[in-house]
Amino acid sequence: MAAATRTAPRAREIFTTLEYGPAPESHACALAWLDTQDRHLGHYVNGKWLKPERRNSVPCQDPITGENLASCLQAQAEDVAAAVEAARTALENWSTLPGARRAQHLTRLAKMIQKHQRLLWTLESLVTGRAVREVRDRDVPLAQQLLQYHAVQAHTQEEALAGWEPMGVIGLIVPPTFSFLEMMWRICPALAVGCTVVVLVPPASPAPLLLAQLAGELGSFPGILNMISGPTSLGPVLASQPGVQKVAFCGAVEEGRTLRRTLAGQGLELSLALGAESLLLLTEAADVDSAVEGVVDATWSDRSQGGLRLLIQESVWDETMTRLQARMGRLRVGRGLDGAVDMGARGAAARDLAQRYVHEAQSQGAQVFQAGDVPSDSPFYPPTLISDLPPASPCAQTEVPWPLVVASPFRTAKEALAVANGTPRGGSASVWSERLGQALELGYRLRMGIVWINAHGLRDPAVPTGGCKESGSSWHGGPDGLYEYLRPSGTPARQPSLSENLNYDTFGLAVPSTLPAGPETGPSSAPPYGLFVGGRFQAPGARSSRPIQDSHGNLHGYVAEGGAKDIRGAVEAAHQAAPGWVGQSPGARAALLGALAAALERRESALAARLERHGVELSVRRLRAWGARAQAQGHTLQVAELRGPVLRLREPLGVLAIVCPDEWPLLAFVSLLAPALAHGNTVVLVPSGTCPIPALEVCQDVATLLPAGLVNVVTGDRDHLTRCLALHQDVQALWYFGSVQGSQFVEWASAGNLKPVWVNRGLPRAWDQDAEGAGPELGLRAAQTKALWLPMGD
Amino acid sequence: MGVPIFITAVTNCCWIGADNCVILGILGTDLSWISKVQVNHPAVLRRAQQVQARRTVKKEWQAAWLLKAVTFIDLTTLSGDDTSSNVQRLCYKAKYPIREDLLKALNMHDKDITTAAVCVYPARVCDAVRALKAAGCNIPVASVATGFPAGQTHLKTRLEEIRLAVEDGATEIDVVINRSLVLTGQWEALYDEIRQFRKACGEAHLKTILATGELGSLTNVYKASMIAMMAGSDFIKTSTGKETVNATFPVAIVMLRAIRDFFWKTGNKIGFKPAGGIRSAKDALAWLSLIKEELGDEWLKPELFRIGASTLLSDIERQIYHHVTGRYAAYHDLPMS
Repeated sequence: MAAATRTAPRAREIFTTLEYGPAPESHACALAWLDTQDRHLGHYVNGKWLKPERRNSVPCQDPITGENLASCLQAQAEDVAAAVEAARTALENWSTLPGARRAQHLTRLAKMIQKHQRLLWTLESLVTGRAVREVRDRDVPLAQQLLQYHAVQAHTQEEALAGWEPMGVIGLIVPPTFSFLEMMWRICPALAVGCTVVVLVPPASPAPLLLAQLAGELGSFPGILNMISGPTSLGPVLASQPGVQKVAFCGAVEEGRTLRRTLAGQGLELSLALGAESLLLLTEAADVDSAVEGVVDATWSDRSQGGLRLLIQESVWDETMTRLQARMGRLRVGRGLDGAVDMGARGAAARDLAQRYVHEAQSQGAQVFQAGDVPSDSPFYPPTLISDLPPASPCAQTEVPWPLVVASPFRTAKEALAVANGTPRGGSASVWSERLGQALELGYRLRMGIVWINAHGLRDPAVPTGGCKESGSSWHGGPDGLYEYLRPSGTPARQPSLSENLNYDTFGLAVPSTLPAGPETGPSSAPPYGLFVGGRFQAPGARSSRPIQDSHGNLHGYVAEGGAKDIRGAVEAAHQAAPGWVGQSPGARAALLGALAAALERRESALAARLERHGVELSVRRLRAWGARAQAQGHTLQVAELRGPVLRLREPLGVLAIVCPDEWPLLAFVSLLAPALAHGNTVVLVPSGTCPIPALEVCQDVATLLPAGLVNVVTGDRDHLTRCLALHQDVQALWYFGSVQGSQFVEWASAGNLKPVWVNRGLPRAWDQDAEGAGPELGLRAAQTKALWLPMGD
Repeated sequence: MGVPIFITAVTNCCWIGADNCVILGILGTDLSWISKVQVNHPAVLRRAQQVQARRTVKKEWQAAWLLKAVTFIDLTTLSGDDTSSNVQRLCYKAKYPIREDLLKALNMHDKDITTAAVCVYPARVCDAVRALKAAGCNIPVASVATGFPAGQTHLKTRLEEIRLAVEDGATEIDVVINRSLVLTGQWEALYDEIRQFRKACGEAHLKTILATGELGSLTNVYKASMIAMMAGSDFIKTSTGKETVNATFPVAIVMLRAIRDFFWKTGNKIGFKPAGGIRSAKDALAWLSLIKEELGDEWLKPELFRIGASTLLSDIERQIYHHVTGRYAAYHDLPMS
């Protein structure tokens, strides 16, 4: 039998060199799909392709060959309006369906993806240039798991999420460098709870459009998922459409900041997930080889969008660098559709960004090490390790871009924490240590949204993923992801309350001066005078007072006129008290809240003379209730394919500023104070403007019962104090209950440190009703989540 | 320079026996790094999963790699019913592992492709040596020894077994370690035993089987690997093929990291031999790329890498057949071993 029908000319050569050859994954099906669209992609709205005439289009190119794959239409405002209209129409039906029906639909979509997975992964890899292995083995299965997980959540929604309703139409803005998976993390929970979605995808990204088509071809509910292709600058247009209740944005920090400012006062919720840098903390007790693989997972596997900050304990610095550099030498970079590469290309923008950073680092004295099997032609960028970057150099402060790792040494675990927590970023981190105690200590103390112990980059639909600080405080996945798209039943829908002529520069800047205003008619026992800061009553910095009138317009008395310096002092005091209060067990906190409740009870008759008795009683109840609720915080999640638990921790926000409403001077004050304290925050409060005395009277008990600095109350001009708090970079969260303008200003100013804010937009709240005055919403807002991954095995 | 280091090593390594400190002298005075070693099990499992998905070879690369894999095979028969006839057949297969016309088609017929060795029980060494001589080739004969597979016999008989196998003409000895010494933490005793195996081997190569499936943890695998290398093994081998868990990727990763560490510390390259459960051509390719990734190309030669297998060869031949002809082979198209 003749064997020689095909020959292999190079086999001899390869036999000696044992090199890797090309292992191309056919992308014929991706091209065939583009052909079905005549290589001309539009938007996908209401279950149909939308290809309006007379629009600009951008080419969609293969990032490696530069070949034109298709042309993509750029949306204009009316296309966005059409998509939102479709989503609004679909919302009526979708949001009122039983959860089980929505679950069914999501499951069908998961199956649809399964049927067309090859098309999805080749298309995504072809267009984005990411390694096909990562898309095929991770993204696509995870997309299906996300749909399945959220189908289960939809199924149990009526029972598990009673008291909550879907927000409505959600606008989602995804930046160019993010994979379609980032979009799935957000649309799955939104659809599951009954919202409908309009996604603004970056131009020339066909994979999300394909997903929308797959969803549309399920037939029923066409308008629940709509894709509009266009630049991020259309974001404000999308947000301003009537009916859009929430905008979720992921992308660069500065873009998020700008969007926060632009959308201030528009009456919609904005959730931000910003930045992509991650952190890896390698201690001397680590399995260094495994940690090196963690670095590869974090940056050089086409898994994450950002670079990595690598902290290495000095005693294992040399060993780690040797191993890391040896490992880098074996990395392969090449065409994403090659089955044997670690890293693909990310297009010119990402490459230039990396190049700029490297040049700058070099000019500031850093060592740069590059290695790996990298094709010499232009779109690729090699794995890069930067060390000896002086910590004070400008480069060390900016976010590390893909595919860079910036390594720096630390001496002790304590120092590592100081360095790691000393950045404005709070996304994700991993800790590598075989010493259980040390690993847990570091895991708990890192101020990050996600911490992996001895692993990096694990994701699961059941585990909330998000961040804190400037990484934005939005969450996706797990229970937290669902609440992002829910609001307490009965919350009024969005009312645009934008006042165009609000001058951010002058709002609350000046305080009108106050003069003696006639005889005081207040109670004979003089209420305490001063600002309650650091556990005692202090004279205000301005040394002036403001008159308080009673309900009849008579002068009731004077309170201290607080100002910027008083706010500064109060925030400082709150920061000093924070570590002690966080260290208290929930039980101890509950006991102290109980003691405060008892003290309040003793004052009941005196207070009730001026306030409604009902309000005083309720206040006492609220203090006790929140103490009890805080006992049941956080829980363990079980994750598929991971042996070991994931802890969902609920951590305090830090220093929380609360501007209390004018109405219900005691009840609202206590209703806001109690959940904040119960969850371990320290607070700076601005009490009711019209009737601040009861809050100050409570402070007399606070002074004797609670640690100094835990609660600080500053009276004065509300706009002025709000301004000071909102612009304060070291206030970690702000709740504002006041005017429309104040709400808008708070939203605008929060862009500074991207603190989470909660504003009432001038709307009153029924503080005497349990739903609004003591509902789960307060508990949700009073703490932040952290996911701590604890893989186990020996 | 070398002398003072050697002396300090001798004085500091009494726990292992001062005679045998040549390697330790190079390793330096500080042995505490072995006991400090920690292997993170879940992280190694993840790496094991990834390493198989990250590399693939296709077309002529695959064919060339598979032929290379053939040259790494220790073609093995370790059965109770082995007789001289099937050992003889095995030896001919070792000499002619791939059909001549297939090799010609690939222009590889003059590369003298044979398996790396033939591996048999001690009692069959004579048969194997005779058969290979008759076939006119110098493929080494490897013999298992030291109470294979359990190693639960007296040290004296284990040592004698090695000597007899060497006398019969085996040039490679695959010894099993005494697992009880690992599980009870008697590293010094383990070191001494392997030293004695080393001596008994004389000129023959020593391959030390760690029986990783019975060592309890990956950290133990690392420590046992390190001790075996320090005691003078030429190869460390995963398993006997008779345990319930055989050559797995996580175990291999840990052993390869130990080999790399040993090389970095001493400059000595020690070989690696996975054995047991490697049956398909695809598996073989994965093992080759694992070595390439973890240790580098310089380990991809028969002196430093072997695959212990019996049925693997026929699957590789089948794949080569398909590569050359574009057809799937029938059972009778390929000669049996």
